[in-house]
Amino acid sequence: MVIQLKKFGTTLTSREDGREAWAAIQPLLKELSDTEALQIDFAGVNTFSPSWGDEFLTPFFKKFKNQLTLLNTENASVKATLAMLEYKK
Amino acid sequence: MKLSIRETAALLNVSLQTLRRWDNKKILKPERQSQSAHRYYTEDVIEDFLSGNFKYLSDMAQRWAFNKNILHAPARLYCADRSVFKARLTKLEMFLMQDVGVGEKYSLVTSVVGEIGNNSFDHNLGNWPDLPGIFFGYVLSEKKIILADRGQGILATLRRIRPELANDQAALLTAFTEVISGRAPESRGNGLKYVKNVVENNTMKLWFQSGNATLKISVKTNGLNINEAKNNLRGCLAIIEY
Repeated sequence: MVIQLKKFGTTLTSREDGREAWAAIQPLLKELSDTEALQIDFAGVNTFSPSWGDEFLTPFFKKFKNQLTLLNTENASVKATLAMLEYKK
Repeated sequence: MKLSIRETAALLNVSLQTLRRWDNKKILKPERQSQSAHRYYTEDVIEDFLSGNFKYLSDMAQRWAFNKNILHAPARLYCADRSVFKARLTKLEMFLMQDVGVGEKYSLVTSVVGEIGNNSFDHNLGNWPDLPGIFFGYVLSEKKIILADRGQGILATLRRIRPELANDQAALLTAFTEVISGRAPESRGNGLKYVKNVVENNTMKLWFQSGNATLKISVKTNGLNINEAKNNLRGCLAIIEY
């Protein structure tokens, strides 16, 4: 399953929006099996920050750590946020 | 809304003589029916002037944040709630993306502004002492951005979970170096630490005040430079140079 973050917006900076995105993705995640690969794609995201990341990525990493891959993380704010949150690609 | 020359002088903290001089030099042009008629200034004209003069923008933001009484801020500079801030942050991002001098740094600048602005809303929601919202303005030609709030400030927010914090200086140090959130039991709080890292590593500058503590971060300061301020500010004020 590929989750395209740009579908949640291109300026992803607030906790409120991150929480909303996490809530919105729940029905999709119910369909995911324990073995299926999960990819989060940052393509098209202009700005990303730890507040949004905390609310959306942190629960992903807690729940699906072994199935998860991050794609297209070249954007400077994506790189800086991932380094801050200490997530590995 | 149209302001008289006196109201405009008070808003910009300048003399009537200065406004007349600026009129003659076409720096700030009022509306006039004729050469002998009174000068009136639209908020649009004042906002345009401020978007090109950081000195006056910064002075206004500081008076707005520090003054005991609530001062009027031009509509384009005041974000009453988070949705207004979000829209204006996206607009700033667009301007930065179009600026070839900023390059790839646009996303870092936007994320730093987003963290500081959203922090004001996150930590004061339901608890604003008087006026909710933030002052948010920038001068693209000078690469400077200013944000301010009339909230509770960093010390009051962090003392909820760290009652032992001695003063504003200790609170700023904690906020910018530890992963901590004043929104207990929420365990996160990377925002200002992220701001510090990005500013330090990308030739940016940050000046921040809360309470009677000021903080400077730049390549030159080599880490955090925290000092005591002359005037106490209940909320927060941040100036970013990029």
